[in-house]
Amino acid sequence: MERSLTHIALFAALIAVLGLVPQITLGAGVPITAQTLGVMLCGTVLGARRGALAVLLFMALVAAGLPLLSGGRGGIGVFTQPSAGYFIGFPFAAFVAGWVMERTTLPVGIAAGAASVIGGIAVLYIFGISGMAIVLGKTLSEAAMLGMAFLPGDVIKVVLAGLVTQAIAQARPGSLLSRPQTLPVSAFN
Amino acid sequence: MLTLTSPVETPLHRLPAGAKLAGLAVFTLGLFQISNLWVLAGLALALAALQLSFGRRFASHALRMLKPLWPFVLVLALWHLWTGALADGAFLVLRMGLAVAAANLVTMTTRLSDMLSVFEMLARPLSPLLPPRRLAMAFALVIRFIPNLAERMALLAQAHRARSARRPGWRLVVPAALAALDAADQAAEALRARGGAD
Amino acid sequence: MAGITLRDLGYAAAGKVILAGLNLQLDQRRIAIIGRNGSGKTTLLRLIAGLVAPSHGAVTVEGIDPYRDRKGALQRIGILFQNPEHQILFPTVEEELAFGLRQQGMTQKDALRRTRDALAAEGRAHWAQASVSTLSGGQKQWLCLQAVLLMAPETILLDEPFSGLDLPAIARVTRRLEALPQRLITISHDPASAAKAERVIWLEAGRLHADGPADQVLPQFTAEMARIGEADADADLAG
Ligand SMILES: Nc1ncnc2c1ncn2[C@@H]1O[C@H](COP(=O)(O)OP(=O)(O)OP(=O)(O)O)[C@@H](O)[C@H]1O
Ligand SMILES: [Mg+2]
Repeated sequence: MERSLTHIALFAALIAVLGLVPQITLGAGVPITAQTLGVMLCGTVLGARRGALAVLLFMALVAAGLPLLSGGRGGIGVFTQPSAGYFIGFPFAAFVAGWVMERTTLPVGIAAGAASVIGGIAVLYIFGISGMAIVLGKTLSEAAMLGMAFLPGDVIKVVLAGLVTQAIAQARPGSLLSRPQTLPVSAFN
Repeated sequence: MLTLTSPVETPLHRLPAGAKLAGLAVFTLGLFQISNLWVLAGLALALAALQLSFGRRFASHALRMLKPLWPFVLVLALWHLWTGALADGAFLVLRMGLAVAAANLVTMTTRLSDMLSVFEMLARPLSPLLPPRRLAMAFALVIRFIPNLAERMALLAQAHRARSARRPGWRLVVPAALAALDAADQAAEALRARGGAD
Repeated sequence: MAGITLRDLGYAAAGKVILAGLNLQLDQRRIAIIGRNGSGKTTLLRLIAGLVAPSHGAVTVEGIDPYRDRKGALQRIGILFQNPEHQILFPTVEEELAFGLRQQGMTQKDALRRTRDALAAEGRAHWAQASVSTLSGGQKQWLCLQAVLLMAPETILLDEPFSGLDLPAIARVTRRLEALPQRLITISHDPASAAKAERVIWLEAGRLHADGPADQVLPQFTAEMARIGEADADADLAG
């Protein structure tokens, strides 16, 4: 019980802190932040339910006025910006990524990469593109064209999500809550 | 921690947070029903005047908070210059700006703790699933651990720099995630030492 | 049943035996635990506090099992962690202090009032709203100690309580601890502070090495530590 609560809270904090990491700039000058990587990790490490709750907790604090979205954004306005769809899609992305992770028996790194493609790209883009279409008054296919600008960055993040999850599984096998535990975890949870 | 609440006290600071949020919801829904450009322009002028009435400092803070919108303004501008439907473009820019500025106004005039209390109240119907005290505990834990994790990240970056000429970049993500996992285990034990999660 | 009883207590983690075969009846008011790094001192305190379950044997604290009966354990036992960073759960000083009182059944209002009184009594009323992330290491340790003392448990477990404190703080905290009526079990690397205990327990590689009054155990301990310290390579680093 305690362990579940603290993992959810610490991963909410992790998403926030990853928004502060100096941005990695791709060749074309498109900056990508590690924040959505944090969202994917919530799913691939904590699993569907805990992962989605961690993301919701992060969102509540952002909406309440903490400037924790990358670029120092925050407040209720995140729900009305053109990018609101991505924000609203975060917990669904984490949930689906976690759901996939919990159900495949593929090796951890590959499973996490696949889970991130489905959760962090397919699901997230459905929300994100719909949001842009509504706020910018465009059709879905027009908005989808805009959304594709982020695809290269997100593909990199999918690869990173796989590598990072793999590294976590090696360093702390008992902490990968998205996978059935093979080692005895500390006795309380 | 740093919040987006404006240090400039306004009469809006004294309104209850719940009322402001309800008002904002009604305003935003109404905004998307409007189809006349001039009505939107009038609203935008009124909102700008309201913010200016709170002083220069407040208004410039409000303006800074609109900055993340500029890429979208640019996209809309290019798009509508291309299609020639300039009035439509102006309409969309105004509507987007109004929706965000009104929400920012609520954020700027409401303390974090008041906003979180509203969220805790809104979550009360879920209390069999999510006991209110556990939610409050979760908020407190996140606020406690953000500076802690940020500091660990900064130390990791320094440790990297001390032994490598390359920028750490994404390589920090693994140790940061491990730090979060370890801190979660330690906090669970600390919580248990003083009576557990509920 | 009075005191703390360890019956054939053992603990293993990740396939490694960390503590084994401890049989102790602890009923003195001042007990010191000594031993080298990695000898299992912290693990023993975590078992007594009921934070982890024994892999072998049993712990009884004033008649209860501290691992299973958490409500009972809260009144009977408090623990100061070795690293204060691992103990602090709340963003501000007063929330951190008030939490334990609330867990003991006090209302939020009463808990905050008691907290402010306690801070004022220590001359630190202005700390109430301070963010814990702005405190120094020693200040954090002081805060954690106050949080434990405020809950007034019957036994207090202290894991190197002075390691981060400056000299005036050590003097003040020592005086405060000496005046406490409760049972104190303190881990210490400092023979001078262990000398004040009625009983000293020396752990070595997870087993009981010596147990007795301070004036018997400590001279052996200091001599042994000096002997090991003189050797160039540390051949028996635990692990
Ligand atoms: N969760 C764990 N998993 C594996 N090994 C552990 C775990 N916890 C402790 N250990 C090991 O158990 C041994 C005893 O650790 P403990 O923290 O009790 O030592 P200690 O006597 O308090 O040392 P110090 O004086 O350095 O604080 C060490 O060798 C440590 O590496
Ligand atoms: Mg120790």
